[in-house]
Amino acid sequence: MDLRRAGRVGVSAILLITLSLTALGGFWLLSLNLGRAVAQWRDRVRVVVFLKDEPTPSALTDLTRRVEALDGVHRVRYVSKAEALSSLRESLGAQAGVVDHLPRNPLPASLEVTPAEGATTPEATRDLAAKLAALPETEEVQGGAEWVEGLARWQRLFQMVGLAVGAVLALAAILTVTTATTLVLHVRRAETEIMRLVGASETVVRIPQLLQGMVQGLLGAVVALGLLEVTYAVGAPRLEPLLQLTLGLARAVFLSLPQILFLIVGGAILGGLGGLLARGRAVA
Amino acid sequence: MIRLHRVCKLFQGGPMKLPALNDVSFTVDKGEFAILSGASGAGKTTLLRLLYADEQASDGDIEVAGFNVTGLRRSEIPLLRRSLGIVFQDAKLLSGRTVFENIAFVLRVLGVPRHEITPKAFQALKAVGLSSRAQAYPAQLSQGEAQRAALARAIVKSPALLLADEPTGNLDEEMAGEILDLIKDIWSRGTTVLLATHQSRLAAQLKRRTLRLEAGVLTKDEG
Repeated sequence: MDLRRAGRVGVSAILLITLSLTALGGFWLLSLNLGRAVAQWRDRVRVVVFLKDEPTPSALTDLTRRVEALDGVHRVRYVSKAEALSSLRESLGAQAGVVDHLPRNPLPASLEVTPAEGATTPEATRDLAAKLAALPETEEVQGGAEWVEGLARWQRLFQMVGLAVGAVLALAAILTVTTATTLVLHVRRAETEIMRLVGASETVVRIPQLLQGMVQGLLGAVVALGLLEVTYAVGAPRLEPLLQLTLGLARAVFLSLPQILFLIVGGAILGGLGGLLARGRAVA
Repeated sequence: MIRLHRVCKLFQGGPMKLPALNDVSFTVDKGEFAILSGASGAGKTTLLRLLYADEQASDGDIEVAGFNVTGLRRSEIPLLRRSLGIVFQDAKLLSGRTVFENIAFVLRVLGVPRHEITPKAFQALKAVGLSSRAQAYPAQLSQGEAQRAALARAIVKSPALLLADEPTGNLDEEMAGEILDLIKDIWSRGTTVLLATHQSRLAAQLKRRTLRLEAGVLTKDEG
């Protein structure tokens, strides 16, 4: 292997591959955890129908049946005025006594509607809310999936930015590996000349360049994964309380094994590509 | 073994095309020893480069060791070169490797099994009388020894044809004689030889068929 002969350019190539894969992996990590939050919140999308009056048992049965028959409804749960007040008392904790001073229960009865799977998009929840608002018993409808979709848009943005930054850095890495390998080829030109003169196949002539690029790529990928792992180990415990508060995520996860393998193989391919391009330039 | 039919080679020289070889035709049979003579710049090296497909002819047909060189695909060039041994005026030894490693390198890149490399390399070194210098580096060799090493490297793969481009050009008369004796020895074991030289006295001494090139034109074929 001729990495030593590539000198500083070889080290630069490894650093650029490290940067490229760290950027890609970093954005992937963010996107992965945002994706988990999105999936979690999609499961929690609810549309709440506040009722004008507390229904009688027979009216409630009739209302529930009509709501369950609507498209995109998975489940309906009735929350009575008393249950709503009890929930309020629970959420107030130490200040729960305030509730006891109310002259009467001001909270309305409501229906908590869980949309069916596939009906948690903003459009579908808007449609459902409109249908629920049209019911004669409805006072007001609240809830929907807009903010969850906002979160999903952020996730997609992170993915796109990660891919774009990763791609630009990957291109730079390929060019640097190409330059590093071309320098080594220049040093080894007497050797390759003899190889060609005695009838060595192009594959035999090319393999050292390919391997050199791949080793640079692998080294870059391993260093990038090390950086990501250290950043995750240091940053995750500090960020988790914030994640819990804002996104409802109990803990941040690291890249999965297939994703780690993808980055390693990606690094090797980047390096190998650089090595092969160098051969093309040297032959030309 | 070698057949050239109306071969021309033009090189681009600014706006003009300069002829390096013009309408050259000859054949060299299997087992023959032929000398390609001519002054410097007559086209000898260009002709040899056409034979081992380092250059492409501008016109005409070339056949070498059963290969149609003019129609050869890029991927087939290594196959042609495996049947050739090539020696240059400068020995082109790899400076960072010993004499033995220079010979073994060829066998290794050609995929010869590991256990065959050492005996074959030493056999080639013995054939050129260089066994005792196997562990020397090129910088430690005399010019004659370096050329012997180059010959060993050329014959280690038992080529059907040896192309020698001015192999004695850098040597004094005594060393040149030794190298020519070695080449004759290689030829006597069945290898076809085409030896290019500008040293007309040397060519005359060999008393072999001589093809004379002058300004890219074959002017004499005798012997």
